[in-house]
Amino acid sequence: MDHNQGRRGHFHRGRRGPDRRGPERRQGPPPDQGNRPERTDRVDVEQIMRDIRTRIAQRSGIELSNQQIQELAARRLEAILDPRGLKPELLDQLRRSAGERPVSVDAATPGSAQTYPFDEASLYDSPNALLRFIRKLLQPLLRMMFNPTPIAHALALQSRLNAEIAAREAERDRRQAEWNALHYEILQRLALEVSRGSIESQNLMLRVESLAAKVDFNERRVRSMEGVQARVRPQETVQLAQAVPSVPPEATAPSPQAVVAQPAEAPRRRRRRRRGRRAPGVAVATEPTAGAPLPAGAVVEQDDAEIDEGFEDEAASELIDASEPGSLSEPIAEAAPVISSELITPPTPVTPAAAVSPTEPFASSEPTSSSSDPLPAAEPITVAQTAAPHEESVSPAEPDRQDGQVNE
Amino acid sequence: MNIAIVVQRYGADINGGAELHARYIAERLARYADVRVLTTCARDYVTWRNEFPPGVDRVNDIAVERFPVSRERNAAEFGLRSDHVFSRRHSLQDELDWLTSEGPTSPALLARLSRGRDEFDFVLLFCARYFHAYHGARIVPERAVLVPTAERDPALGMAIFGPIFRGVRAIMYNSPEEQLLIRTAASNDHVPGVVVGIGSEIPAAVDPARARAKFGLAGPYVVYVGRIDENKGCAELFDFYTRYAADRRDGPTLVLIGKPVLEIPNRPFIKHIGFVDDSDKFDVVAGAAALVMPSYYESLSMVALEAWALGRPVIANAHCDVLLGQCLRSNGGLYYANAQEFAAVLDRVLTDDALVERLGRNGREFYEQHYSWTVIERKYLDMFAFLSSNGPTRGMERMPGWFARKLRSLRPAAQVLDELPSGPVVDADDRGPGRFAPQRQGAIA
Repeated sequence: MDHNQGRRGHFHRGRRGPDRRGPERRQGPPPDQGNRPERTDRVDVEQIMRDIRTRIAQRSGIELSNQQIQELAARRLEAILDPRGLKPELLDQLRRSAGERPVSVDAATPGSAQTYPFDEASLYDSPNALLRFIRKLLQPLLRMMFNPTPIAHALALQSRLNAEIAAREAERDRRQAEWNALHYEILQRLALEVSRGSIESQNLMLRVESLAAKVDFNERRVRSMEGVQARVRPQETVQLAQAVPSVPPEATAPSPQAVVAQPAEAPRRRRRRRRGRRAPGVAVATEPTAGAPLPAGAVVEQDDAEIDEGFEDEAASELIDASEPGSLSEPIAEAAPVISSELITPPTPVTPAAAVSPTEPFASSEPTSSSSDPLPAAEPITVAQTAAPHEESVSPAEPDRQDGQVNE
Repeated sequence: MNIAIVVQRYGADINGGAELHARYIAERLARYADVRVLTTCARDYVTWRNEFPPGVDRVNDIAVERFPVSRERNAAEFGLRSDHVFSRRHSLQDELDWLTSEGPTSPALLARLSRGRDEFDFVLLFCARYFHAYHGARIVPERAVLVPTAERDPALGMAIFGPIFRGVRAIMYNSPEEQLLIRTAASNDHVPGVVVGIGSEIPAAVDPARARAKFGLAGPYVVYVGRIDENKGCAELFDFYTRYAADRRDGPTLVLIGKPVLEIPNRPFIKHIGFVDDSDKFDVVAGAAALVMPSYYESLSMVALEAWALGRPVIANAHCDVLLGQCLRSNGGLYYANAQEFAAVLDRVLTDDALVERLGRNGREFYEQHYSWTVIERKYLDMFAFLSSNGPTRGMERMPGWFARKLRSLRPAAQVLDELPSGPVVDADDRGPGRFAPQRQGAIA
């Protein structure tokens, strides 16, 4: 409105803005839809502004209003400076450390103020002897005019008070200097601690983000594995039911036929499981049994390369073990990490499905871009599909298969 | 029914907020009553210099009586007096002197009011903080209906206004924030009051393309309408906008409509098209992505209401309680409190067409529900009917005696204001017509 004109600038006006508003900032009564105008499309500007402010805060750190900063500062200082909650030792320590600092305070010493000893004779005193004599001579005359005794008493009292006040003032200044140094020390430490806490919280936040990403990734992998497992399990159950009773104990050792019957992914899988848990020499020794006709040096190189793949691979391989039926309970799984159904298959006719199905969980556990999508689980599996040619069944594991080819 | 409207300035070409408000109300009420406007000969609100001839005039078929101002405002004296009463301990006489120095002092206008007190059924007094409204309310308290158009400024903390807010027959508030502020400051819950505000003459059809062609507006733009003044928050707006545009090569244009009091930065993305007529103004606003309202102090923003009436969202300064309250209650506008928020809000408005449309629709609904002329006329007429059937609850408090007026016992007005509640009234109960019963302490009508 126009009547704003001719007035002073806003900075002269009353308290304004969120940072200057007091705690009495008024709030409306609780929302009452009956009284509010009807809102179309449910736009909530408060929510939009909250989102905007959150995004700004995320982008440029937490943004506090002046009032919030003051409240926070007051609260923290209160908690620390409250003498009831402060340990006496800490206070003493702080006092000592503060006392060690050179305090430059112009503290007036008690004797620095001019204090005169004052009595009745002081009224007539003078450095000039003649003057002193004349005053003494005329003293009775003066006493006739007025009574100087109360004046002398008042001035003497004032003199004493001056001395006392000067002493008190000096003591107060000294204490103030000490407290100033103490406050400085506390504030300095506070600033240090706050900075340290801020950096630490930032680090923790980053760690939390990193771990959350890993957890998320692993959850996705578990879901994809479960999908595949659901597809594989009925077939395995049938095979186990047929094969287990007829297997001699020695059949649990990996026979050359069993190794031959395994698909190309099996050696890779074994290597991955053992990565990081064995000495390099052991790794070299076990590789030939995997059926991969590679020189030992080549195997070691591959392991080294896989180690670089990091946390996800390791965790994923463990998840595979846990998800495979029987693999945890049978010690043979650790000695020769192939699934029991694979070991059993040589005595019985090996079907393409039997050879392929155990490899599928492994294939989908690779940290490839396709691993996040539970592709096998999404496809309805039929009996006809399980009998499909090998290449088609392992198609979701194509990246892994490519790796295997490269390795070989 | 005879109604007098007393306002500091009046004319078809006077576009000050309160003056335009008074003119709109006069022209609308003229359909239901005999309306006569009593005003001064001043045209300039800074000096109150007599520019119109005294006597009876007609403006848009409304009879207007003009009275000379006895003394022009001395800006230096007014500044000193303001500083004294706002920030120092002072007396009631100091406040009265401040009021006189603020003006417009027109004893002839007051004499006319005193003479014709029986001539009018109701006297609508606009702008509580001015000389004519204060003394007018004291002259005809039993007929006085005050339209305070008050905002949160230290004058509201002055002691002289308390008796006025308590002694008039009724108060027509502009916003729930203003109502709560005055009720808290003056403890006048017994005075019937209603939040009315003001409508606007919105054209039936607008043509944004025509405005774009006429003013050479290409691409998206946001618009500010009003006096380009630091007091209106324009300096801050320029600062925020310059910082915003510095990061964006193809940012929108800031279009300014109004008379510049402040120097406008010479930037390619700021376009000042000057003072335009209403049709151009509405066309430009209708084509804007949003209307920006950077003011910290508003009793009621008519341009914000006009933008809402045209279905355009508003970007308001969050430090202005009234604008913030309107944005929250209407869900028709966003707001900002700093440069970052300003940039984020602007980005959101410029990129989210669906949101803009919804905000605009909500704003239009809000306008039609609260500020359409039928609603406003009905509120005035109902108030007059209520006052006619109910006698005054209290009279005007007497002016203290000479010694009491000289006593320097009053706290600084700014300090008093600081103790008043601030912030938007989020859930104002928009009381329907005819509900003017005195409110309990703290209630929001």
